[in-house]
Amino acid sequence: MTDDCLLSLDNVAVGYGRRVVLRHASFRLTRGSFTGLLGANGSGKSTLIKSIIGVVPPLSGTIRFTQRDGKEPGLGYVPQREALDSIFLFSSHEVVLMGCCGSVGPGRSFRREHRDWAEQCLQSSGAGELSRRRFSELSGGQKQRVLIARALAAKPELLILDEPTAGIDAAAALAIMELLARIHRERNLTILMVNHDLLAMRKYVQHVIWLREGGLTQGSAEELLSRDKLEEILKLQLS
Amino acid sequence: METLREILAPDFLLRNSVYISLLVGLTCPMVGVYLVVRRMVFMGVALPQVSSCGIAAAFALHTWHIIPHVEEQSENLLAFAGSTILTLAIILTFALMERRGRGGGEGRVGAAYALAGAWSILLLVKNPFGEHGLLDRLKGEIIAVSNADLLLTAGTFGVVVTALVVFRKEFMLVAFDRDMAISLKRNVLGWDGLLFLLIGLTISMSVLSVGPLVTFGFLLLPVLIAHLLANTMRQFVVLAAVVGVMSAFVGFYVAYRWDLPVGPTDVALLGFLYAAAFVVKRVFLRSPVAGTETQTAD
Repeated sequence: MTDDCLLSLDNVAVGYGRRVVLRHASFRLTRGSFTGLLGANGSGKSTLIKSIIGVVPPLSGTIRFTQRDGKEPGLGYVPQREALDSIFLFSSHEVVLMGCCGSVGPGRSFRREHRDWAEQCLQSSGAGELSRRRFSELSGGQKQRVLIARALAAKPELLILDEPTAGIDAAAALAIMELLARIHRERNLTILMVNHDLLAMRKYVQHVIWLREGGLTQGSAEELLSRDKLEEILKLQLS
Repeated sequence: METLREILAPDFLLRNSVYISLLVGLTCPMVGVYLVVRRMVFMGVALPQVSSCGIAAAFALHTWHIIPHVEEQSENLLAFAGSTILTLAIILTFALMERRGRGGGEGRVGAAYALAGAWSILLLVKNPFGEHGLLDRLKGEIIAVSNADLLLTAGTFGVVVTALVVFRKEFMLVAFDRDMAISLKRNVLGWDGLLFLLIGLTISMSVLSVGPLVTFGFLLLPVLIAHLLANTMRQFVVLAAVVGVMSAFVGFYVAYRWDLPVGPTDVALLGFLYAAAFVVKRVFLRSPVAGTETQTAD
């Protein structure tokens, strides 16, 4: 594993119980890379990223983060927004503040510096004016900005997003992708993003990992999302 | 006013019952908030019944000499132990099964409710002690509360409320976004375990004091009322506790004034408050009702 490698998966199989949804997944994420994770419904994209963040233990294989100064890299996770229940009466500010929980001990209160940092993260995600609004009442695109701000509040080295543009209109989706590209550029964050939007992937990501037929194909976005390659992959999937 | 002065007098004969009512009114809604936001309301119905079954089982085992003889003063401790052990066992079993992704959660909770209810009755019928007070205990008669019982209840609820306040941030994070909590390296299993322990202790103690029906009423209704009227999570929790305490006191007053059973009076009062809060929300506040949301444009 080179020093540039932030995350490596070796021969990983993921699934739930006895149901394996993805086998023999091996890839590496280099620091500062922007990688897209593609695949049909049920191909194991969400399960794979849940295994990476530690929610679903891999069935076999190893998932390894490269430590720096004896510490594992911090993770910022942006879930599918439908996963968050609207019964909670949190303001956007409170949602973002949750990202600071990793640096505040159990039973301790958030301090002024955490609140200021949460506001900064909201501002840098273009959601500063949503701070006092109730999270459950925001639109899809607004929620996504707040969730990205929450992930940034954790001061991550690796940002993992699960379908950040799903179910929102084209203009809002474009704005979210522009935001991610800016965050990637300005903070040199490593980003792993699940997305179905091939055009957005081709425009914004550098590398693509395509999950199909229980395994994966990977390469540069330019190569893997070229017209010929797409036709080949999609034909195979249709047949 | 005369009745109110009587209830508030320091030498009021039933003052311990008033204190118990207020403690249940404060603690159950604070715990109930987590049952509601975690969509575990059915657990709030089943667990008090399970807790009752634990009490009945403890007394049955005692009567049949399977567990050693205890002094009369220790009966409440025996009931508390039976109630707590069975409640915690069931709540942890459900949590483990849910975590392992076994479906049919609602069915399991429903089955637990039905079985616990049936076994409570069977154990009572075959227990001579049942005719001498156990039934009253399960009905939640809160007329005669000893100082020792009050102390035990206050101590338990004190621990529960303190833990809920101190660890609010952790409990809320795990309830709102479990995956995020794991990604931040929080000990999700540990926090779930602690929350379930607090829920189990509260329900056990509350069932011992006021019975399963009233316990469920206080776990759920103040929380639903608060959710209709609150704008923030902090308001939600505080308002639920305030509604619980106020209705416990007013319910006691009404029951004492008109010679009604305290527990059912409390729950009926909460029902009226819920209807009133619903009307206030719909007519005056004109914002979305709980569980719905408006979507605004980007």
